[in-house]
Amino acid sequence: MSASTTPRPVPATAAGAAPADTQDAPRYLGSAQGNWFARVGWRHLVAWAAIAFSVFPILFVVSAALNPLGQLSSTTLMPNAFSLENFAKLLSTTEFARWFLNSIVIATVAGFLSMFISALAAFAFSRYRFKGRRAGLMFLLLVQMFPQFLAMVAIYIMFTRITQLYPQIGFNTWWGLIILYMGGALGVNTWLMKGFFDTIPKDLDESAKVDGATHTQIFFGIILPLVAPILAVTGLLSFIGTINEIIMANVFLTKSESKTLAIGLYGLIAGERNNNFGIFAAGTLLTAIPTVALFFALQKYIVGGLTAGAVKG
Amino acid sequence: MADVVFDRVNKVYENGFHAVKDLSLDIADGEFLVLVGPSGCGKSTALRMVAGLEDVSSGEMRIGGRVVNTVPSKDRDIAMVFQSYALYPHMTVADNIGYGLRIRKTPKAEIDRLVREAAAKLDLTEYLDRRPKQLSGGQRQRVAMGRAIVRRPQVFLMDEPLSNLDAKLRGQMRTEIAQIQQDLGTTTIYVTHDQVEAMTMGDRIALMKKGVLQQIAEPQHMYENPDNIFVAGFIGSPPMNMAAARLDRDGDTYSVQLGEQTLRLSPEALAAHPRLAEYVGRDVVIGIRSEDMEDSRVKGGEGLRATANLVEALGSELMVYFTLDARAADTEDIKLLEKDHGDRAAKSLVSGGVRWVASFAPRARTRPGDAIMVTVDTARMHFFDPETSLAIRA
Ligand SMILES: Nc1ncnc2c1ncn2[C@@H]1O[C@H](COP(=O)(O)OP(=O)(O)O)[C@@H](O)[C@H]1O
Ligand SMILES: [Mg+2]
Repeated sequence: MSASTTPRPVPATAAGAAPADTQDAPRYLGSAQGNWFARVGWRHLVAWAAIAFSVFPILFVVSAALNPLGQLSSTTLMPNAFSLENFAKLLSTTEFARWFLNSIVIATVAGFLSMFISALAAFAFSRYRFKGRRAGLMFLLLVQMFPQFLAMVAIYIMFTRITQLYPQIGFNTWWGLIILYMGGALGVNTWLMKGFFDTIPKDLDESAKVDGATHTQIFFGIILPLVAPILAVTGLLSFIGTINEIIMANVFLTKSESKTLAIGLYGLIAGERNNNFGIFAAGTLLTAIPTVALFFALQKYIVGGLTAGAVKG
Repeated sequence: MADVVFDRVNKVYENGFHAVKDLSLDIADGEFLVLVGPSGCGKSTALRMVAGLEDVSSGEMRIGGRVVNTVPSKDRDIAMVFQSYALYPHMTVADNIGYGLRIRKTPKAEIDRLVREAAAKLDLTEYLDRRPKQLSGGQRQRVAMGRAIVRRPQVFLMDEPLSNLDAKLRGQMRTEIAQIQQDLGTTTIYVTHDQVEAMTMGDRIALMKKGVLQQIAEPQHMYENPDNIFVAGFIGSPPMNMAAARLDRDGDTYSVQLGEQTLRLSPEALAAHPRLAEYVGRDVVIGIRSEDMEDSRVKGGEGLRATANLVEALGSELMVYFTLDARAADTEDIKLLEKDHGDRAAKSLVSGGVRWVASFAPRARTRPGDAIMVTVDTARMHFFDPETSLAIRA
């Protein structure tokens, strides 16, 4: 209760003016934020653990891709040799370039179409009241609960027939697979988007309507720009899902030149021996490029969307 | 420019709720009509039917002589200002204002000119490149106004455009909107639940209750001649003082019995309400505005005895709240009014009497707790039938 317990020096003026009263003297009691480690520090630890967890496999694959021996057993976490032999072999002994093209085309087109059609459906479900709206939404959800490969047999039979009649969109074609993937993701994407669309005030549509806009102009001019984040997310997810998909593609694509990356690369290590592992690792590294590129391209929208939603405009 | 006509318009929502009942309104070309009423009375619904945002269930809606029941919004040549402003968050102020023009394929240079003109009118010129997020509430409100005026539509529709602003800004925008409307001479329907806005802005006021039009009149006329208890209690601040009273007659003199006290009616009061004769010996609801009462020491004459509870000195007048030993009028309208303006009128129902407020001259020097004698200008009193709620007049 006396001046001696004050941990910081009392300012000269205060001490001079009122030596008896030390209650008013500024005392440093610590930051209002509390202990640094309890507040921030532990997050760093968690973040580093997460980074390590996700970086190890990548390091391992990089190491394997650069290892000329191409065997799992001789691969270490840190690259112990540097050679592009695996990449050269990948391009010369397999149809990698062709698979790459197939994957990019199929994933891009299917991702974009599925995003676009879902957006149209979500707009209708979110904005209009019509007969069968609830039933439609429920149906979409229900269908989504079954994994797609449950329908494999049916799809196989259907496409066998389609291949006979219209070989352009049958087995071993881009369009066949695109149609298949598009349908597969439609339900989830529509639900995801509808939830997001619902958060955009209806006043905006109505205001645009009074301003003279048609439904189409409202959709493209008002709604789509505002839902960019969810478009980016669903587009990205569709793209990743499609480029990694293997079960359907395996049934669909039998000819080597029509394979996608997932199927083509899987073929390299599906055999008894693992001596293609170096080539496989090289292939997976190259496969990651488009996904990462797309993520960086869309990052602005995804992150921007999160903050834009927080502050109501 | 165009007139707007509601011809026995009804709106029944899909869930069966009858939101607007047999509404007939004739809004003249260039008129500023304020549609007022408590929240939920169907004002917005009526307005949205003009905008084409809600279908008309039955009846006819005409704009400029054309039946628009089935005409889509974009072909009605109207502009609407929303309570939320509904600005497009991803567009700049200039693009927001020019949106309607762009949609209508106006040449770029023309859009530019019109947007600048509208912005200048609303003091928005320096904000044209900003996004709505970077504006204050008042500025957003102006952008919403700009979007409406830039197209020079036939009709402006405004749905509580000022209710998101603070009191000071609201007062400012009130005059500004009225001024703009006067300059442009555009027919305007303005929806609000605020009777101050209704009184100050409109050429005429249409007052609604539960989907039914109660009265349509010029503000001052409605203030002085309310058609029923609801209108009387809704228009005016402070609200009209009301109480239940028995009407008596002694020879040629009429009087009302308020609790233990008798208030004699002047011959002018009788002349103004000849039908009062039919109510002798029955209960009526009397109404008197605060400015029609005065301290008897100031004005003389007989009056009602009471005790002042609370005094607000406003400089130009003294608002004296007092409890009068009388029965509160207990009609459906009164209950509705009390629910609507919550504390404002809830005061009228206190145990052992009704709470009234009178406006005294400052020299009355009334203080809380004082016993007062209130002179009532009975010629300016209002009488209502407690059964029908209608005004007893000629
Ligand atoms: N889409 C709707 N479906 C059913 N009832 C509605 C709908 N919109 C409004 N209502 C009801 O209609 C009544 C009038 O609403 P509204 O016109 O918005 O009132 P206000 O006078 O406050 O603007 C309210 O009781 C409201 O609950
Ligand atoms: Mg409303």
